[in-house]
Amino acid sequence: MMELLKYTYLLDVKGIRKNIELLWSRYQKILDNKKSSWEDLNEARAILYFIGYLYPERIALHSLASRIKHIEPRISLDRFLRAIDRSDRAILGKYKNNDNFNKLKEFYLAVKDIKNRVKNNAYLDEERFNRFYSKLKPKDYF
Amino acid sequence: MKNIVAGQVTTIKSKKDYYRIRKETVLVARNTHPDLMIAINKIKAMVVEIDNKLCHAAIIAREFNKPILMGVDGATKKFKTGDRVLIDFNNKTIKKLK
Repeated sequence: MMELLKYTYLLDVKGIRKNIELLWSRYQKILDNKKSSWEDLNEARAILYFIGYLYPERIALHSLASRIKHIEPRISLDRFLRAIDRSDRAILGKYKNNDNFNKLKEFYLAVKDIKNRVKNNAYLDEERFNRFYSKLKPKDYF
Repeated sequence: MKNIVAGQVTTIKSKKDYYRIRKETVLVARNTHPDLMIAINKIKAMVVEIDNKLCHAAIIAREFNKPILMGVDGATKKFKTGDRVLIDFNNKTIKKLK
């Protein structure tokens, strides 16, 4: 998670993608292993919370909002997100040769890729995680 | 995209509710689930309780050009399936029609 933050500060999309995949692999490994312990499940819970909420909805969003201000010609965050999600040719064409815009675009696509990842018909395999977690949850857990 | 949308609500309490959507509707949910995609063509507008530009509902709304009202606290309790509502996206308001 620290590495992911580091590459986010650097806006190194390759490093960001690599570290997201490392977290996803670890999360899947825990869910795949029937012998995973309560402690392992809580590690999976931390990863799920991080890649499913904290990272995309807080850290990445904040990073996008801060960096979009430096794009010239100016573009709002809403317009930027809509342009990418709608593949708006006019806007994407206008910024085609703008390295900073394209870097932010790649960053957003990496974030969206993990945020929208579906496995076993649930975002981020949440249902499988929830079943496993409930099974191991101690009765006296508070 | 329309600034004002009127329509009949479908409140999503579980993913099974997406499969009950038969006609054009205003979707009301806490957040969205991947099964939303089976009904996406019938969604006139979305109203969700959470408020974040990178939440699933916001991304899907942008991708499919659906108007969305986010951050409506208690929407799934206030609006029941079958209610008729009027949404003003400019003023970010939603009201029940009688």
